[in-house]
Amino acid sequence: MIKTALSMQARSRLGRWLVSGPPVLYLLIFFAAPALIMVLASFRTPGDFGGLAPLLENGKLDLNLESYARFFTESVYAQIFVKSVWYALLTTLFCLLLAYPLAALIARSGKKHRDLLLLLVILPFWSNFLIRIYAWMIILGPNAALARTVNGVLGWFGHEPVPLLFSSFAVLVCLVYVHLPFMVLPLYANLEKHDRALLDAAQDLGAGAWQRFWRITFPLSLPGVYAGAALVFIPALGIFAIPDILGGPEDSLIGNVIKQQFLETRDWPFGSVLSIVLTIAALVLAGTAAWVGRRSLGTPSSAEPARA
Amino acid sequence: MKKLISMLAATMIALPAAAAGDQFHLYNWNNYIAPETIKRFEASCKCEVVQTYYSDNEELLAKLAAGAKGYDLLVPTSNAVQALIKGAQLKPLDKSQLPNLKNINPIYLNTPFDPGNKYSVPYAMSTTIIGYNDVKMKELGLPTDTWAVIFEPKLLEKIKGRVTVLDSSSELFAAAFKYLGYSANDVDPKHWDEAAALIKKAKPYWAAFNASSYIKELTVGNIWLVHGYSNDIFQANLDAQAAKRPFHILQGMPKEGAVLAVDNMVIHKSAPRPDLALKFINFMLDGKNSSELTNLIGSGNPNLDAVKYIKPEILKNPAIFPDKAVEDKLEQLNDLTSAQRRLRNRLWTEIKAGR
Amino acid sequence: MRRRPVGLWAAALLGYAFLYVPLFIVVVYSFNDSRLNAEWVGFTFDWYDKLFHNQDMLLAAGNSLLIGLTASAVSTVLGTMAGLAMYRYRPRLLSILVLAPIAIPEILMGVSLLIFFVLLNLTLGLVSVALAHIAFCIGFVAIVVRSRLAGMDESLTEAARDCGASPLNAFRYVTLPLIMPGVIAGALMAFTLSIDDFVITFFTAGAGTVTLPLQIYSMIKIAVTPEVNAVSTLLMLLTLALIIVVSKLSPSLLGTEEENA
Repeated sequence: MIKTALSMQARSRLGRWLVSGPPVLYLLIFFAAPALIMVLASFRTPGDFGGLAPLLENGKLDLNLESYARFFTESVYAQIFVKSVWYALLTTLFCLLLAYPLAALIARSGKKHRDLLLLLVILPFWSNFLIRIYAWMIILGPNAALARTVNGVLGWFGHEPVPLLFSSFAVLVCLVYVHLPFMVLPLYANLEKHDRALLDAAQDLGAGAWQRFWRITFPLSLPGVYAGAALVFIPALGIFAIPDILGGPEDSLIGNVIKQQFLETRDWPFGSVLSIVLTIAALVLAGTAAWVGRRSLGTPSSAEPARA
Repeated sequence: MKKLISMLAATMIALPAAAAGDQFHLYNWNNYIAPETIKRFEASCKCEVVQTYYSDNEELLAKLAAGAKGYDLLVPTSNAVQALIKGAQLKPLDKSQLPNLKNINPIYLNTPFDPGNKYSVPYAMSTTIIGYNDVKMKELGLPTDTWAVIFEPKLLEKIKGRVTVLDSSSELFAAAFKYLGYSANDVDPKHWDEAAALIKKAKPYWAAFNASSYIKELTVGNIWLVHGYSNDIFQANLDAQAAKRPFHILQGMPKEGAVLAVDNMVIHKSAPRPDLALKFINFMLDGKNSSELTNLIGSGNPNLDAVKYIKPEILKNPAIFPDKAVEDKLEQLNDLTSAQRRLRNRLWTEIKAGR
Repeated sequence: MRRRPVGLWAAALLGYAFLYVPLFIVVVYSFNDSRLNAEWVGFTFDWYDKLFHNQDMLLAAGNSLLIGLTASAVSTVLGTMAGLAMYRYRPRLLSILVLAPIAIPEILMGVSLLIFFVLLNLTLGLVSVALAHIAFCIGFVAIVVRSRLAGMDESLTEAARDCGASPLNAFRYVTLPLIMPGVIAGALMAFTLSIDDFVITFFTAGAGTVTLPLQIYSMIKIAVTPEVNAVSTLLMLLTLALIIVVSKLSPSLLGTEEENA
């Protein structure tokens, strides 16, 4: 190498700015700046018409902690929050269980079919959300085959019939359904680079299929699992449309409560507080999960072979 | 990739910046003006009507509160008009441009939320009532003219899981108030607690709080009884008949009274073309033009001149054109203050959280 | 010889069935002779006929496609850069900036962007909608690309640099091919999110701006007719065709990697 150390350093700093600059700039302008308006709003008072009361009234600055105090004193909001975390966790788990075989199959299939199989995963999601949910209402309806079978079996055991539509079950099924591709795609992107030679070697050494999966494939795929889990868990936490359309009377989630603050209640400060709490909780949970994962399983990245 | 981007760029540029000419921006509910009415208005004003839709007053209010501009005319419900007036969002109407205002039934004019109709003119109305599957309700021997059937566990037992109520705290509380014998606009916190208790007792029997898919389920026969909007229930019956169902979806007007929602035409303060907006208001105050909406969707009509153009089967429907005795028990909702809205939201969240 | 992974196939088939039973209903009901999306009545082509005469719906579909393609193209570029930067330099600020838009409730993001655009005096329209969509799509792309990079051997890029390749060439010929599956997965997600977004679009769209979800959600109270199933069916076919054509025109767009045996 002929270049001096200094110029290398300067170059790498330049490279760093060139790579991270544009996305940082874009997100600062079109995400952070608007979001700050709402962070400020969380300290203000709701206006009677909606929106916010004037920031400056009679020379007094209107900033207070009332909306935060409300979140911490009225326990009902925290309860719904916990319930939403629970729903999001279940969604993530079921997505992972369904997505893993899909992603693994796509990753190991031949080049010719791979793109097609991948497209097939995402294709249903280019139809409109509402009619997909309506399709589920048809599937889950009380006179459809599924409900009849389930209730027929329950009847055998002397259980009274249960509704599938307008229930927590319906909400959960649809949560899993709408988030599934967001688990499959990152998993696929990760599994696709695994080196078959490693699995073959393990097989030669006498490792069974299950052992090969647990000891090699799964640990290597952890970055993909984290990415998928983040992309499912975090959005699922704030969802409101599915409980609105398919949920029973008990299925209101934190997303619904937040939506109400901005619409029916016209209480932007409290809506902002709930949103801020939700965002921080999601980031902290995601960060902790990644940290614990790295801790307990070692950095998978260091053990991972590159694929040329 | 480059090819794709350049292709996109080309399409973006090729898109014309909307044909020039006069445009009138109507911010409206979907399907809330007959297509033939629009055509005639376009011909008379020599302009193009550009419609944008909202599906809830609250969506409209949130969007305007955040500062959205560019809409000439809005069609919000009275309580939302009240909020918009409080927020100084509206332009006063020049009544000299509205000779057809004389067609409106005076009982719908000069209301407390807009004295002297400085900002608003009634457009169409609906009521929030009971909708039901006639065969099922008859079979079970349940009444359909009282809120008791929505709130009383004794009656609900027979239709457990086949009932939905609106996912709207103001509508549901109003129905509960009416059943308890209070005004729909009651603001006594003790009465609010009483209503909340009533709702909580009935909740286990309801299939869902639902404002978006109940009509469909009612038409198919999955749901037998709803707390819903008269227009929607009217539509549900048309659909049920078109699908040759063995039942009707009927409208039940509770004897305790119900909520009346009057939608009004108002001009937004940022309206680029208030002149066209005034022309539109006067045009829609014409009896024939106004009647077309009623004939299309079965909405109530405050226009006396429209009556002669309205289909007789709609005219004789008591839930759409109630007689005097019922009319006296209908109430329009008031807009709540921000403190009241906060309290209401807490009660509502507690109801929904199941405590 | 490897055994055929029967269990894997069965599990994956279950996954596809879960995805395709509802879609099957969506497509079949576009031929249903009933206004309601709820029960099979009889076969008809009427909804397609209605659709072809419904200017508003077609315009909305065109807008959605245009915004979807633009937003996914731009956010894929920016998101890939963000993913690379997160992997190489691990900047705190960027990680938060990437994750937070995914976590933040969309209604808050919609309201805040509207307030922001109004402050900037930007006329609301297709452009403001696309700007907003890009903002929430970047994170999805970045996270997938970042996870694809995890454990990748940077020595390859370094080797290329040592051999005298410029940083841009090193990226183009070494890094990009390696991360391409991640980039494609990210682009697909971005397109999916954009074409189906209602809440943020509702707030950032101006008077007269229509997209398919806006058009469809406004029908929610009066019945979402099978016309929507028809437009969805056609849109899926069109997008699929578009992708196939583009991948035929430039094979490097879909899967740059040579199959390595």
